[in-house]
Amino acid sequence: MFSLALKNILFYKGRSITTFVLTFLSTILFVVYVSMMDGSHKSMLENTLKIYTGAIEIYHKDYRDIGGNEYLIQDVKTITDKLLHVEGIEAFTARYETYGLLSSAENSAASMVAGIEPDKEKAISSISLALKEGAFLSDDSGSCLYMGEGLVQKLKLKLGGEVAFVGGASDNSFAADIFKVCGIFKTGSFEFDLSTSFVSRSYFDKLMLSQNKASYITVKVDNLEHVDTINKKIVQTLDSEKLESLTWKTLMKTMVEAMEVDSIFGYISLSLFLIVIFFVIMIYGFINVSSRIKEFGVLRCIGLCNSNIFSLLFYEIFILSTLAILLATPIAGTICYYYSLNPIVIEGIAEMYKDYGIVSDEIPFDFDIFTITWNLAVIYGLNFLSILYPYVYINSFRPIEATKHV
Amino acid sequence: MIKLQNVHKYFFKDEPREVHALNDINLTIEDGEFTLFSGPSGCGKTTLLNAIGALDSIDSGKIFLDDKEIGSLSEHERTAIRLHEMGFVFQAYNLIPVLSVEENIGFIMKLRGFRESEIKQRVLEVSSMLEIDNKLSSLPHALSGGQQQRVAVARAVASKPKIILADEPTANLDSKNSQKLMDMMRELNEKEGVSILFASHDDLIRESVRRIIKLNDGALVDA
Ligand SMILES: Nc1ncnc2c1ncn2[C@@H]1O[C@H](COP(=O)(O)OP(=O)(O)OP(=O)(O)O)[C@@H](O)[C@H]1O
Ligand SMILES: [Mg+2]
Repeated sequence: MFSLALKNILFYKGRSITTFVLTFLSTILFVVYVSMMDGSHKSMLENTLKIYTGAIEIYHKDYRDIGGNEYLIQDVKTITDKLLHVEGIEAFTARYETYGLLSSAENSAASMVAGIEPDKEKAISSISLALKEGAFLSDDSGSCLYMGEGLVQKLKLKLGGEVAFVGGASDNSFAADIFKVCGIFKTGSFEFDLSTSFVSRSYFDKLMLSQNKASYITVKVDNLEHVDTINKKIVQTLDSEKLESLTWKTLMKTMVEAMEVDSIFGYISLSLFLIVIFFVIMIYGFINVSSRIKEFGVLRCIGLCNSNIFSLLFYEIFILSTLAILLATPIAGTICYYYSLNPIVIEGIAEMYKDYGIVSDEIPFDFDIFTITWNLAVIYGLNFLSILYPYVYINSFRPIEATKHV
Repeated sequence: MIKLQNVHKYFFKDEPREVHALNDINLTIEDGEFTLFSGPSGCGKTTLLNAIGALDSIDSGKIFLDDKEIGSLSEHERTAIRLHEMGFVFQAYNLIPVLSVEENIGFIMKLRGFRESEIKQRVLEVSSMLEIDNKLSSLPHALSGGQQQRVAVARAVASKPKIILADEPTANLDSKNSQKLMDMMRELNEKEGVSILFASHDDLIRESVRRIIKLNDGALVDA
């Protein structure tokens, strides 16, 4: 049957070439598209993590659920000393976040005011890069505020404007001060830009009595794919009932869900594409088979059973799709691999990215053997599915009828 | 042994254009017969051969091959009988277009699992008898009608089946080639005991066979 299949392929060149080319192209497109989708998700994640949320954050238990001063981390130094010895951590910083009332001459707004370590923050988040006007904080920037653009507008402030802060210090006493807007940022996250201001910890801790305390410690890892392993190590090292260490997967449930939704839409459009390819391959197979009804009838008359006919069709598609996939895989693989190392840079988008504080203007591809393998399996599977209808069609004729078919 | 009991076959049954192609055929054909079905065009010769060859269904009656009743077999079993016990020479040749002459002739032997060397030898043997040995590597569409017909005959006889059903095997042959073909058929019949059933108008075949069964309008004239 195999050699007969081979001869059929060589004899019916039109069908063979069409099937081959379609399989070849769809393999390349499919693999590259999935690689691009996965890659852009990864970079989207990396970029978001760069803005503010860490890959891993360490909290006092119940801070996230209940909140309040009794759930602050009380001994930051002990913990950060331990973190220095955990492998896979690139940087970390302790943040002290509090909520208070900000009032300008014109308006008031509730805001999160976060005390940060400006130099360390630069290494961890891209908050400093989201700068629109003025300057980012530094260790000795004193009563300078680095404020989200939305909040600045709400308070009808300008760069250099003054704003009064009233809030609760870490010992539950009142805290109040006058700050000056020294920098304005825009991350592109509307919510975040409308309700966040930063201030240097060296100044803020004195006001809030929060030295050596923190809302949480945020950690940057050197490889995001190992985040779970690194987190396990952190939990082991800290060895504390009172602390919890969480990865971005828990911290950013909504983001993860959004990415999943995006993937689903991506896969839906891909499936549409594949369905079209599938039908084209099937229709070509079908046209070919219809023109060979007589030939199949003869084969069945002289003693080929249904399973022989099926293997004949199977071998034909097997040979064609294997050839196409064998040829397409190295090409698609190379494209993915090349662009995973040298991400596509889209000039126009670079400007837009900058505006959004997301500093990447690159769309890196994802090069993953496992993903490529299942992509290929899907293409293979579709090709094999495409012979089912022609097979049923052949069998809808009785052998002797088929030999008279024109 | 082939035995037909009250066999009826209709085309377009219960339609105005109904054709009663086989009408109450009762017939016994012993092993090793060398027999001709004759009769005017459209009398049902091809239909009868197809029924005997388990290629086509019948509307009533029974056909036995040895003790097996064809109608009671599954399509799969019928296919196996066609492959292992029958050789067909179709009126329309029905060669496989993608295979060369050599491969066409050897195709059934290959399906039946003969050894490669045996196939080669047998293909040479029958093709030289039928004088198509100079065309072995051609594809069917490059052959004349008569040459294609001889390839069709060669394919049917190569595997030495139990029964050969030959529908107008000489229709496109000159008398010399027809004679060669009949000589080969007779030799196969006499030496190997192959039953051979012809359907034909050809006088040459009429003179060669040992039994003639006449058909008219789907019915036996005298058996
Ligand atoms: N597939 C078919 N559909 C409808 N009618 C058919 C079919 N095959 C044969 N017939 C009819 O059945 C009758 C017998 O046909 P058959 O082919 O058996 O004749 P035949 O004796 O072989 O004729 P010929 O000598 O011309 O080959 C004819 O009247 C023919 O029209
Ligand atoms: Mg006929």
